[in-house]
Amino acid sequence: MRGFLGVDVGSVSTNLVVIDEYGSVISLIYRRTQGQPISAVQQGLKELQKDLTPDIKIAGVGTTGSARYLSGVIVGADIVKNEITAHAIAASHVAPQVRTVLEIGGQDSKIILLRDGIVVDFAMNTVCAAGTGSFLDHQAARLGIPIEEFGSYALNATVPCQIAGRCSVFAESDMIHKQQMGYRMEDIIYGLCQALVRNYLNNLAKGKDLSSPIVFQGGVAANAGMKRAFEEALQMEIVIPEHYHVMGAIGAALLAKGTVRNGETRFKGFSVSSIDYRTRSFHCKGCENNCEIVKIQVDGKTLACWGGRCGKWEVQNPEEADLLVQASTTSSVM
Amino acid sequence: MCATIGVPQALLYYKYYPQWEAFLKGLGAEIVVSSATTKRTINAGTSLAENELCLPVKVFFGHLVELRNQVDALFVPRVVSVENGAYTCPKFLGLPDLARSIDSSLPSVLDPTFNRRLGRKKFYEALLDFGKHFTNKKYRILRAWMMGLSAQRVFQRKLESGLTPVEAIANAEVQTYKGNLKIGIAGHPYNIYDSYINLNLIKRLREWGVDVATTEMIPQRTLEHEASYLPKRLFWSYEKEVVGSVFHWLRNKSVDGIIYVLSFACGPDSLIQVLLESEAKRRGSLPLMSLVIDEHSGEAGMITRVEAFVDMLRWRKV
Repeated sequence: MRGFLGVDVGSVSTNLVVIDEYGSVISLIYRRTQGQPISAVQQGLKELQKDLTPDIKIAGVGTTGSARYLSGVIVGADIVKNEITAHAIAASHVAPQVRTVLEIGGQDSKIILLRDGIVVDFAMNTVCAAGTGSFLDHQAARLGIPIEEFGSYALNATVPCQIAGRCSVFAESDMIHKQQMGYRMEDIIYGLCQALVRNYLNNLAKGKDLSSPIVFQGGVAANAGMKRAFEEALQMEIVIPEHYHVMGAIGAALLAKGTVRNGETRFKGFSVSSIDYRTRSFHCKGCENNCEIVKIQVDGKTLACWGGRCGKWEVQNPEEADLLVQASTTSSVM
Repeated sequence: MCATIGVPQALLYYKYYPQWEAFLKGLGAEIVVSSATTKRTINAGTSLAENELCLPVKVFFGHLVELRNQVDALFVPRVVSVENGAYTCPKFLGLPDLARSIDSSLPSVLDPTFNRRLGRKKFYEALLDFGKHFTNKKYRILRAWMMGLSAQRVFQRKLESGLTPVEAIANAEVQTYKGNLKIGIAGHPYNIYDSYINLNLIKRLREWGVDVATTEMIPQRTLEHEASYLPKRLFWSYEKEVVGSVFHWLRNKSVDGIIYVLSFACGPDSLIQVLLESEAKRRGSLPLMSLVIDEHSGEAGMITRVEAFVDMLRWRKV
């Protein structure tokens, strides 16, 4: 049976999903990236291999997330796509009648409005990542609460307290202040959830017609406090899809399925989990810009580079990349 | 008498260079244009500039620094007003003074004043004053100015035929891009054509098979007419053009979506951003994305957003 692999390596989590020809999830892995995208992908692949039955053949791979280029080289991706597109595709696949998609990931948040399966409007957060998953993560660590229990704390709130959510720096000092004043932890945490929802709705949803069914996805959807805060703010029911936390990976897998069709995949196989990949960065000396170029190598041979402004390092095949890097190192010695 | 004049490839260069070139050459000057913006330009500019200044002005300073040892004087016109009843951004009004204040090692700054609000007589007096740096013959100065104006008309026609200012200045041919999507890019020319500060936006879009239209490619009359839908006339000329282009696209839908590029600390931009976003929402005809750039612009975040915008527009179409 053919399976399609989607890999979503984000700032907080690394997710791998295998879907079948009909787009149903056969297997999924959710693990923390912990700042090490390469080993996160490799460990994820190992777990996935154990989980899959031997009759499943990977026929296509898509990668997404902030480490999509890196993970694309490691697994051999057929398509590399940004996480926003991947999420939108996954949402309309699992809930074809959906009209509003709220998505909060590790570092980004977005809203997508669909009508009859077609995107009619969308917005994404700007550079500022206030109110996204990594901020919640940081706060949970600061309060000494496992992030998984954040939601249940929030649900136990009785008198949520007002937290300034406009900027995460202010939110943090506000929370510390409230703690010192003696507010209950539960009330502070739910107050934070409300602040984040307020921030989200003000930034992304202002003036938009949010109609149900509303789907809430992304890692932050695991937080029941956020769901409650959204429902209270919008006075509408919020649906959290079964695989809310790996929707990006599902989207990448669906994109791979659409790209490969009946062609050959570039998937390098599960054995890549035991290869020793190394990444290095260097400054290109080609012009005044001195771009920082990242190269990924195996046994001293370069597989790919990226990061330049002009695009000369972004070559498709590994041999060319290796030659480029060799040429640049000999010239800089001279 | 001045011999070699440095023209920074920044700010109003993208709007008036052909005119300035013909004018200065007509006066007998030799011109040195600074090279395109690089990381070094930005580093040099930001280290000299007040932190509160907008990125384009910081970039401009970087270009002045580059020209420092190559020229006898720097050409920094004081563009106060380019039409009746409207001004340019306050930073253009004070640009020569800003330039003089940043670094004492800079060559002298030549600052002809272009101010249409003072009437024809004053305008030409200022012109002749400036011309005296090169020649004492009045007719020569006026002839050079006329040459500038006609060069600008040729330039304007090239822009309207679909060339970007950079292409038009380089005498490039009009190319037909067979993209299956068309995006309108609105914004100040020094933001949308400086490929370093906007991370190669136009080239990237074209590589993705997207046709690009920009504010400069729309005739001035159209821009003026479209902007007049506002209940009150905007008193900044260049912002009025940006507003005019966005309104034009929202109305005739000749593009599939609009990207509005603005720089972080720009005062006028921050006001028209709200105006444009609310108007786009009200009319609901086209998606509009604002892209804010500053010297800390993260490549990853910006490319992701543009790529997603393009994907969504494609998806919307099918």
